[in-house]
Amino acid sequence: MTCTPAFKKMKPVRLLLLLLLLGLGACQQASGPASGALTVTDDLGRTITLPHVPERVVTLAPSLTEIVFAAGAGPKLVGVTTADDYPPAVDTLPRFGALPVNFEAIVALQPDLVLATDQVNNPRDAATFEALGLPVYFFSYHSLEDVLEAILTTGKLLGTEAAARRTVDSLRARLAKLAAAVDTLRHRPTVLVLISDETLYAFGQGSYVHDLVARAGGKSLTDSLSNPAPVLSDELVLQLQPEVIVVTAGADYDPARLLRHHPSWDLLPAVRNRRICGVEPSLILRPGPRLVAGLEALLHCLHPELARKLSP
Amino acid sequence: MRLRPLTLSCWLLGLLLASVVAGVALGSVSLAPDVVVRVLLGRMTGAAVDPVAERIVWQLRLPRVLMALLTGGGLAIVGVAMQTLVRNPLAEPYILGLSSGASAGASLFYLGFLPPLLSRTLSMPLAAFLGALLALTLVYLVARQNGVLSVTRLLLGGVAISALMASITSFVTFASPSPDKLRAVLFWLMGSFSGARWSLLPLPALATLLGLLGMLALTRPMDLLLLGEEPAAQLGIPVELAKRLLILISALVTGTLVAFSGTIGFVGLIIPHAVRALTGVPHRRVVPLSFLLGAAFLIWADLVARLLLPGTELPVGVVTALCGVPFFLMLLRRSHYRFG
Repeated sequence: MTCTPAFKKMKPVRLLLLLLLLGLGACQQASGPASGALTVTDDLGRTITLPHVPERVVTLAPSLTEIVFAAGAGPKLVGVTTADDYPPAVDTLPRFGALPVNFEAIVALQPDLVLATDQVNNPRDAATFEALGLPVYFFSYHSLEDVLEAILTTGKLLGTEAAARRTVDSLRARLAKLAAAVDTLRHRPTVLVLISDETLYAFGQGSYVHDLVARAGGKSLTDSLSNPAPVLSDELVLQLQPEVIVVTAGADYDPARLLRHHPSWDLLPAVRNRRICGVEPSLILRPGPRLVAGLEALLHCLHPELARKLSP
Repeated sequence: MRLRPLTLSCWLLGLLLASVVAGVALGSVSLAPDVVVRVLLGRMTGAAVDPVAERIVWQLRLPRVLMALLTGGGLAIVGVAMQTLVRNPLAEPYILGLSSGASAGASLFYLGFLPPLLSRTLSMPLAAFLGALLALTLVYLVARQNGVLSVTRLLLGGVAISALMASITSFVTFASPSPDKLRAVLFWLMGSFSGARWSLLPLPALATLLGLLGMLALTRPMDLLLLGEEPAAQLGIPVELAKRLLILISALVTGTLVAFSGTIGFVGLIIPHAVRALTGVPHRRVVPLSFLLGAAFLIWADLVARLLLPGTELPVGVVTALCGVPFFLMLLRRSHYRFG
């Protein structure tokens, strides 16, 4: 935008020369017949056409920011949400509100690709972005594998496939090591994962959390609830009799809090055997590359002896 | 259909008892009836019972049913007080902004915008009470013109105060520094008994009982207030005092109940009408019978909230609004509805 006055002042011959140079540069970059255009289908089934490899990207959820960095395209980010806090590099980026989406702020950032996820964002916002001429790609994930795929897809979209592949390979190596250790387990405890301790928000059907718990050598108790984000009743938890309770309220979570809010739980196996533990919320609630770290934290809760053996 | 007051009282008492039994027997997980009976007998005889069933029946369901009983009864008599106070059949703590005033006060405290005065258990009801009192006084002052209450102003004032208080609540919710509490507040704003336990019962019980006794003492002034303030004053009723007492009772009961169970609307609207249809207008009957019917109604509403989605909790305010709003609209339509 700032170069328009400069163009006006230029002599016609020079302008022609400059345009020619720019054109040649573009020709050299675009080696294929489609001149770098990419047409893809996102997880909502929408078709998106990118005229060239995006250089300016905004993400509408913290998990997507972490995915972009994991895919090796962090330098292409030009804006993140006000909720972002990882990796530290996001601290210098412009912020915008994502709930509800601050469209004006995003337009001002002039991105050539917007990344969104149906975990946080409203799919109807896609139409607004389309009307604004901004291509938006929606991710949807229901397992750890989906998140790894999302990293690879992001690499493909942003032209950093090799870096994305390297990250995913190293994550898969950690997962394989974990899986080999978990396979030897004889006992798989029943696990209740709670998002908050006062109101019992939990994960229902179709959540990737059940996948995480299974990979950490446990059996998640809420995977059969038809509501994807149920509020559990105290009596249901009493009947489920969880052997381990995980609260995503930080690693320093005080287990006494849980009993204070739910005094009738004193005879749950998890309470009696002191198997209540806190996990950093961003490691579990953010379906990004750090889910593998979340999985390792879950293993610490479910099978501490195994986790100790695994950590170098 | 008018029943003799004594017969009606017996019927309602029986209904309430049956509601308590149903409330204890049914829930989001199903227990066999004999297990429930054995738990209750075990509490009395000290016999050993299945500890999980004991927790569910004795520590979760019974206090919850009692909280619903107190809240239903309390909100129903507040409905009677307000309908008499403003001489309008559409008055109710929820509609006139009393409940949202209480929840604004309570959430200001809950989210740390107000300092705790005494203990947490006492300051939240106090904040809710002050919020309710402020809301009701504002609506009352707005609706009064030359000593006469205008029905239109009353309803519009109630809507406006409701919106104002709700936006204060939304504001503190969004501006709150502790995001982990937000989900809890949102859930609580729609009203729920899910957190009820024995140790939380004394204060709501005290407030509701005080309200009930106060209103039983005021039944005659209330009867006369329905005739109009002038005639009541000429018959020797201290009108201003009676009105202030009714406002105070309404704010006290609503404030305390909202602090413990959240905003639950329309109980105070439906119940007094149903009771008047059964027994007529005299307050010495309407007040106690409204308490009984309101208590039974809210126990059933809570049961529906517990049973509708298996294993999960639905806010009870959703259920009462689903019953209450159609009823409210019907009352609005029936222009020939007579009151007093």
